Amino acid sequence: MILRTLTYLIIALAGIGAGVASALYLSGLWSTKQPMEFGNVNVDGWVSDFAVGSKQASPYVRARVARHGLLAMAQSEAVYFVRGTDGDGERLSASCTYRLSGGALPADWWSITLYETSNSMLPMNEDQALSVDATSIVIEGEEGGTAWQAVIAPERPTDAPNWISSRNADSFDLLLRLYVPSDAVRNDPEATLNPPTIERLSCEGDAA
Amino acid sequence: MMRFLGPLAVFIITAVGAHWATLAYAPSVIMDRALATLKDRGVAEHAFTSPVRISPQTQVVVRSSPDMFYSLCRYDLSETGSSLSITMNEWSMYQSLTFFDAETNNYLTLRGTGKTISQTLYGPGTLGEGTKFGEYSPTKRGVILIRRLAPTPELFEAASEIGKGDRCELVTP
Repeated sequence: MILRTLTYLIIALAGIGAGVASALYLSGLWSTKQPMEFGNVNVDGWVSDFAVGSKQASPYVRARVARHGLLAMAQSEAVYFVRGTDGDGERLSASCTYRLSGGALPADWWSITLYETSNSMLPMNEDQALSVDATSIVIEGEEGGTAWQAVIAPERPTDAPNWISSRNADSFDLLLRLYVPSDAVRNDPEATLNPPTIERLSCEGDAA
Repeated sequence: MMRFLGPLAVFIITAVGAHWATLAYAPSVIMDRALATLKDRGVAEHAFTSPVRISPQTQVVVRSSPDMFYSLCRYDLSETGSSLSITMNEWSMYQSLTFFDAETNNYLTLRGTGKTISQTLYGPGTLGEGTKFGEYSPTKRGVILIRRLAPTPELFEAASEIGKGDRCELVTP
């Protein structure tokens, strides 16, 4: 009788363990993935998780968003896109210099901020060049134009008005925030958004 | 064969129960920990807490935006008949007031670009029929977040001044 009870107890504990583990795994709470790797939108390499900030019925999505999108803005207020590779598909690195090129974006305001890949934190430097944004970006060419370029490098460039510092970042991601995005980009981002391109200009150790 | 049915049934029932319970309670557990963390970091209850500007040296949350002024207020409407009187002061650029319940749900967002927003918040189930003069929180506890666009040190300073007029006050009967 005691053996039988013990057997059932062990089986019940195994069942509880399997239930908890499967729930954590299927909801993404037990995973080594970066939050944006759950993304369900990909626009030219810029990835977004449109479950964050939306009303989702699935309990799996609810649990994951609770963990990865805590205190996130509603989609009507902001959507986010992240990118960790350049135009050739190579990982973004502070040992390289890049040109970020873009134009008008479908939102009331936007910004692009650099974060370290390893911990998703701002790189520890005092350059005060963490991002470029719609307020401060210097537009190219004639008045009324929308095209802009920014250099991403660990040192301030001498010939570029827009700079994002990658000093002390090692490997990094860029996060594009669209504040008060247009309905069109919320409904069909692939057809509406024309995100910035990232061109690698040089890397440490390149042949002169 | 039949002797395995009992253990198998116990395994399936406990696994399904634990699976469901984990999914159901995960948001509450996550928010409970988040509220405790906010308290430990000095975020007040029933008052908006003035933030410091996000920088590499001050950041504490992943992917914080250096462009934003964030101000938080924790609330607890456990006392019968209590409510919360909230005011987001006028700011010429983008600003919003976002309400989260104790299960991480964002149940209300009010955009207030260029204007003052005032809102009364009641506890769950406290609004009578036809008396909906405010919103009600789905849970007794939660957190309210003001976001103001302030992408420069000068604008952040100005947002901080404006923020002195923000209110998140408990009103008791």
